[in-house]
Amino acid sequence: MGVVEKGTFRKPALKPLTWLLNYSRKYSLWMYQWGLACCAIEMGAAMVSPRYDIMRLGVIPFPAGPRQADLICISGTVTDKMAPAVLRLYEQMPDPKYVISMGSCANCGGPYWDSYSVTKGVDQIIPVDVYIPGCPPRPEALLEGIVLLQQRIQSEDMADRWRGDPIVVG
Amino acid sequence: MALTEQQQRAYVASQAADARLNVELQTEDMVLNIGPQHPATHGTLRVVARLDGEQVVWADVVCGYMHRGYEKLTEVRTYPQITTLVNRIDWLSSFANEVPFILAAEKLMEIEAPPRAQYIRTILFELARIANITLFIGTMGADLGAITPVFYAFRDRERILNQIEAVTGGRFHPNFDRIGGLKDDLPRGWIDETKNAMVRVREFCDELEELLMGNEIFQARTRGIGVIPSDIGLSYGLSGANIRASGIDWDLRRDQDLPLAWKDLDWKVWTHPDGDSFARFWVRLQETREASKMVDQMLDGLPAGSIQAKVPRIIKVPAGEAWVHTENPLGEMGYYVVSQGGLGPFRCKIRSASFNNVSVLPWLLRGAYVPDIITILASLYFILGDIDR
Amino acid sequence: MSSADTEEQQQDQTSPADEARRRLLDELKGALGDAVIGEHVQGGDLWIRVPAGEWRRTAETCKSLGFTYFDFLSGIDWMPSAPNPEDAETLSVEPEADAEEAPDAEEAAEAEAEHEAEPQPSEAGTVAAFETAQPEPESGWTTGVAGGETRFQVFARFHSPTRKMGVTVKADLDDESPSVASIHEIYFGAEWHERETWEMYGFAFPGHPDLRHIYLPGEFEGYPLRKDFPLLAREVKPWPGLVDVEDLPPAEEARQDAVINAAQEDNAGEQSEGGS
Repeated sequence: MGVVEKGTFRKPALKPLTWLLNYSRKYSLWMYQWGLACCAIEMGAAMVSPRYDIMRLGVIPFPAGPRQADLICISGTVTDKMAPAVLRLYEQMPDPKYVISMGSCANCGGPYWDSYSVTKGVDQIIPVDVYIPGCPPRPEALLEGIVLLQQRIQSEDMADRWRGDPIVVG
Repeated sequence: MALTEQQQRAYVASQAADARLNVELQTEDMVLNIGPQHPATHGTLRVVARLDGEQVVWADVVCGYMHRGYEKLTEVRTYPQITTLVNRIDWLSSFANEVPFILAAEKLMEIEAPPRAQYIRTILFELARIANITLFIGTMGADLGAITPVFYAFRDRERILNQIEAVTGGRFHPNFDRIGGLKDDLPRGWIDETKNAMVRVREFCDELEELLMGNEIFQARTRGIGVIPSDIGLSYGLSGANIRASGIDWDLRRDQDLPLAWKDLDWKVWTHPDGDSFARFWVRLQETREASKMVDQMLDGLPAGSIQAKVPRIIKVPAGEAWVHTENPLGEMGYYVVSQGGLGPFRCKIRSASFNNVSVLPWLLRGAYVPDIITILASLYFILGDIDR
Repeated sequence: MSSADTEEQQQDQTSPADEARRRLLDELKGALGDAVIGEHVQGGDLWIRVPAGEWRRTAETCKSLGFTYFDFLSGIDWMPSAPNPEDAETLSVEPEADAEEAPDAEEAAEAEAEHEAEPQPSEAGTVAAFETAQPEPESGWTTGVAGGETRFQVFARFHSPTRKMGVTVKADLDDESPSVASIHEIYFGAEWHERETWEMYGFAFPGHPDLRHIYLPGEFEGYPLRKDFPLLAREVKPWPGLVDVEDLPPAEEARQDAVINAAQEDNAGEQSEGGS
């Protein structure tokens, strides 16, 4: 991948390689699940329930740690006490990395918008790629968010990966 | 092994003193940090344990990673809005959280829901209990190294969630309870479907009983681990299956007079004399089966009539104080509502079960071995939102 | 207020649950003597109030009387202040404003009637209940059942699984430096509850081994559950939170009216008699 980013090849020659890399990346997303609150149960249902079965989309749950993960799913309420830990684990992830913010609490604070202890949205700490609304979102919504993220990864150019606006599901 | 706290302290101190005398066996204490993001804590609980070899000498529990300030937020919301909020305290049994709060408001307003609403409330309450404890049965296996029960639990839990969703529209945040009754009546065909689902619940219990409880490894890892004597448990405020597993025959569904359907049913309170992790698992499994039978009885005896008592359009609760507690899946959950006649409570103390259930951990973990920490955490069964509120 | 209130309750309410509570109250009074300075029995529940100095002895007494189960311990701040100033302005019958401007129950009920565009026939019953249940306002702040003289109160609840009854114990604390003895040696569970109460209200618990933050990060300033602790998000962004009575869409309203009408027809007999 370093070869691609540094541009050793010319652009036309690079296209099939980029396509292949992106294709490989999008179907081997190791997802670090940061289950915090209610949404964690729906995320768990999406991962281990045979009805939803996230692994058929090429998403592999339960990595040994954030250092092996490509994707982190923040599902639930982030509090001010938890925020430093979220940031710390995010920084441990290797690039390229993606963030899914699942549920209203992680998006904006949700029903705790006026609380004294809740962080009003995880995007105040780390950049978010996909927002999934709902309180909690159904597992299908998480699956859709992952499919949309995979489409973006497929059409991604490694150099300007960060330029896109975040995806909002729904 | 019914030790008092003093005896246990003395025991650990003498063990430590022995280790100090025997210089060759002495090891340096190690601090083991579990969490705040660890699979065994089911969320964001942090356990700090100081180890002497494999044995825990001292343990502390750091909670608050999920503290959302419920009690302050209730003071700036109206009663119908709080119903939405309290759903999310114990997120696995949301409807069960609504009921005591609504009952407290109804007690102050001196109204009572019609019988049909009481029955539907109780049915949904017990469905929430089944959905909650099904997950416990699965995750308890997973924490002890058996992965299969989790898949079974999530599979069979979906059936219950379907039934809850068919009535309330929400998979597990129904927000369905209203002061004086319910939002809606049951949909057509729901009763038969629920009866089918209850048959499946009993099958699930039988299956897990054979699969997990009869397993020799499971028994070896849970029997005699994390024994809570009944007096210690009561003093710490342990409730629900945790205290019934220590031999206390106390169930708030039976032992108090609430306007709900439990008093009309024929059912049994399960207790276990041992007080260890196995007993807690066993009691919960029996309760799930019992709950499915209760739902069957209530579906058979469902009274006709309206589901909503007369309430004013603007809910204002007269001044006064009311305490209502119910037997939630995790234990005793209660609301102490102080009203001054306004649209929202002046003060609402939320007594959640897990907070007290977990407060026994520093005592219980002292002297335990490292692998048993996970067993004890799993068998106490807490929900983080219920600890931290 | 409390004694007169209790006498009134004794006369008109004779449910067996209340009878049992009254016997229990006598038992507690026998054990505690003059320490019981406030009492209240209503709706199958018992409250007592003791001086802060007797807090520990009360807990010991309760435990010896069979109240072995520890429910909770927390505090109340009786200061009547609106946490959200905008709400107090926009809404004339805001709860905290009631205590200052319209302490009288009838005034509040009238305000409610004026405030509502379409008074429903079912109003009458509720208003009647409202008047009877409203305690007499004291000079100054409204305090709850079993009385109270100071801003802060600590209250705890003990339960007896064998008697199947519980008791709520309250104690008045000093306004300037609220402090009450720790009871964690009597009820082990109180240790965490006292930490929580210290964090939320700033009550000191002499005798507590380890009074430190339990929920909030260590650098948090202020005591969130005190009434003068502002919610910053609400100060910044107004939200019509307490006013939730705007008109429904027509279809929804028709449906809800149908439900209410059905309910009224069903309960017509007993409720209309009680209301008039």
